[in-house]
Amino acid sequence: MKKLHFRYEMTLNLSQEVVDHHFLVHCRPMASEGQGLIGFSCHVDPEVALNYVTDGFGNQGLGGVIRTPHDRFHVTAEGEVDVRVYRMRDYHPMYRFQTPYTAPDERMLDFLRETERMLRGPIRGLDELNFLMGRLYGRFVYAPGVTTTRTTAAEAFAGGRGVCQDYAHVFIGLCRAAGIPARYVAGMMTGEGATHAWTEVWTEDGWIGMDPTNNRFTDDSYIRLAHGRDFADGAVDKGCFVRFAIQTQQVYVKVEEVTGYA
Amino acid sequence: MKELVDHMEEINRLMARYGVKFGIYKHGEFHEQLFPFDPLPRVITAEEFDYLEKGLAQRVDALNCFLADIYSDKKIVKDGVIPEDFIFSSKGYLPQCEGIVPPKKIYSHISGIDLVQGKDRNWYILEDNLRIPSGASYPMIARSLTRQASPAAFASNHVVDNRNYADMLKAVLDAVNTGGINVVLTPGRYNAAFFEHSYLAEQTDSILAMPQDLFVENNKLYYRRYDGRDEQVGVVYRRLSDEYLDPLCFLPESLIGVPGIMDVYRSGNVALVNAPGNGVADDKGIYYFVPHMVKYYLGEEAILHNAPTYLAFYEKDRKFILDHLERLVVKDVSEAGGYGVIFGSDLTKEKLEELRQIIIHEPRRFIAQEVIDFIDLDIVEGDEWVPRKVDLRAFVLTGETTKVWPSGLTRFSRNPDSFVVNSSQGGGFKDTWVLSR
Repeated sequence: MKKLHFRYEMTLNLSQEVVDHHFLVHCRPMASEGQGLIGFSCHVDPEVALNYVTDGFGNQGLGGVIRTPHDRFHVTAEGEVDVRVYRMRDYHPMYRFQTPYTAPDERMLDFLRETERMLRGPIRGLDELNFLMGRLYGRFVYAPGVTTTRTTAAEAFAGGRGVCQDYAHVFIGLCRAAGIPARYVAGMMTGEGATHAWTEVWTEDGWIGMDPTNNRFTDDSYIRLAHGRDFADGAVDKGCFVRFAIQTQQVYVKVEEVTGYA
Repeated sequence: MKELVDHMEEINRLMARYGVKFGIYKHGEFHEQLFPFDPLPRVITAEEFDYLEKGLAQRVDALNCFLADIYSDKKIVKDGVIPEDFIFSSKGYLPQCEGIVPPKKIYSHISGIDLVQGKDRNWYILEDNLRIPSGASYPMIARSLTRQASPAAFASNHVVDNRNYADMLKAVLDAVNTGGINVVLTPGRYNAAFFEHSYLAEQTDSILAMPQDLFVENNKLYYRRYDGRDEQVGVVYRRLSDEYLDPLCFLPESLIGVPGIMDVYRSGNVALVNAPGNGVADDKGIYYFVPHMVKYYLGEEAILHNAPTYLAFYEKDRKFILDHLERLVVKDVSEAGGYGVIFGSDLTKEKLEELRQIIIHEPRRFIAQEVIDFIDLDIVEGDEWVPRKVDLRAFVLTGETTKVWPSGLTRFSRNPDSFVVNSSQGGGFKDTWVLSR
C-alpha cells in the first residue's frame, strides 16, 4: 500500500477565441476499494462552476461550460490517494467485444497464433497473457509523435511504434481475440510526464492490470482515472466549443510517493 | 372510390405544394423527392385491426421490458435466452446509457413496426423500428386532403378517423414530461424527414427546435426563445440520431447536438423520446429473439409471428442457410432501411458462392429469411389499376399504456418485380383505412 501525491495540469491553447466551450475532465481518481481519495482539489481557468458527472462506465468526471470568449483553457488538479493492489469485480460483457480502435487485422491475428504455437496451446491464464505482453513489448517500440489519438490498434501494430494508448489498444485487441475480456484504463503512475494508459484483463479473480508499455503488472504506483472499451470511452479530457480554432494541448503529470507513511 | 381516383392528381399537387417530401441520399448528395400518393386505400377490417393491435402492443411491451433489462440487470442474457454476442457487439448498444432509468421506464415511446400480409392472409413482422421511425405524417396529411376531395367516400364507409395521431403523440409526450415545455428537436432542413418534424411539432403544440436553441444549465435543459427568455424543457421528441445527441457523451467531433443533455437525462430532469440506446433492440439480429422476449418477460405466446428466420450465428441455422441460399433473402444486420438486403434468387452461381464464403467468415453479421409471398394491392397507373407489393408500418405509441394508431403507412414498390417497399428505395404510399365495424 502506498500513499501517492499527484498533480495534473492540462493547458489547451487555442489559435483564436472560442465561446460556449463545454468540457469534461476525468482527473479525479476513481473512488474504489483499491483507491482511497484523501484530498482532492480542481481548478479551471477561466473559472466556472464544476459539476460531478457519472457516466455509463462508472467513471466520474468534472464538467462545466465557459460561455465567455477565451483562447486558453487550463485545468489543475491535485490530491492524495491511498493505493493498494485490489481486483475490481465489475465485470461487463461489453469488454469481450472489439471496437473500431481495438479490432485486430490479419497481422495481429498471425502474431497471436504464432504466440499460441510457441505456448503450445491457447491463451487462458495470466502466465500466457504475461508471455503475450512480453512478446508485444519486444516487437513494439515506444515512440512519441508517430501515432495520434485516432490511430487504431491495427495501424499502430503495422507501424510497430507508438505510445501507451497504442500499446493498450493492441494488447486489448489481442486479448479479446484470444477470448479474454479486456478493458482500457486511463490513469497516472509515479514519476513525471503525461497521463498513462494500460489494460485490465478479466480473470476469475477479477480485473488484473497489465501495463504493456512497461511490460509489467500494475501495482500500487498506479492511479486509475477512467476506464472503458477503448480510448474514446476512457478519455481523460473531452470538450467542444463554438468557432473554429486550432488547438494545442499540453499535459503535465507528477506523481510522488508520500514518504513517512506506514 | 371513383372520386378518390379522379382527385389523385390534385391531391398529389397539393401535397407537393405543402412540401410533403421525402429526402434521400444518392451518391453522397441530398435530394428531396415527392412521395407519390396512391388514392386507392388499403382497408383493414375492425376485427383484423383488433388482432393486430393486441399483437403489436404485446410486442412493443416486451421490447420495452427488454431495453429496461439490458441497460440494468441483463437477466435475459444471464438466463441464457439471448447470447451476449447479439447485444454487446451490436452497434445499437450504447454503454453510455447503462444505469439510466428513463421517466416512467419507457424506452420506445414511438415504435414503427413493419409488417406484411402473406397471400395465406397471415401477418408477418418484418422489422421493428424503435429509434426514430418516421412516416406518420404522410397518411395524416393524405387523409385530410382526401376527406376534402371526397367526403362521400368517408360518409359511406365506416372509416376510423386517423387524425388523432397528434393527440396520441401529445399524450405520450405529456405522460413522460418531467416538468417544462414539449420540444421537437430536428437536425434541420437537410434531414430526410424535415417536413414531418415541422408538421408534428405544429400538430402537437410543441416547439420546433434546432440543437443550438437548446442548452444545459444547472443540470436542466432550457430552450432559448426568440425574445431571449429561457424556458425549461420537460420532454424532447428528438429526431436526431443517438450519436449526434451529445458531443460530450458520444462523438466529440460532432458539430450538432446539445452538450450535456445526456447528463440531464441521466439525472431524470428531462425525457428523451425515444430513449437513446434503443438500437440494441431493433437490430436485424435481435429480431430473431423478439418472440422469445414475449415469452420471457410477459409469460405469453407471441400473437404476431416473425417471418421464418435463420441465424447464421447458430451452426444448425448456418448449415440450413448455406444449403438453401438460392431461395432465401439474406440481410446484413448492420445495415438499415432497404440497404444490405440480398435475394438469393437474384444471384449467379459465382455470386452465391461468394456470399456463402462471407457468411461463413462473418456469421454474426447475417440473418436469412424465407421469402414471404406477400399480397399485392392495386395502384393507379395512368388509366390502369396494376398490382404492386405493399407492406404496412404500424405506429405503436407507449405512454400511460400502449396503443396502436388506427391507421398506418402502407408503402408500395414502384417496380412490379420488387419486394423492397422501403421509401428510401423509391416507391409511394397509400392511406390505410381501419373500419369501425
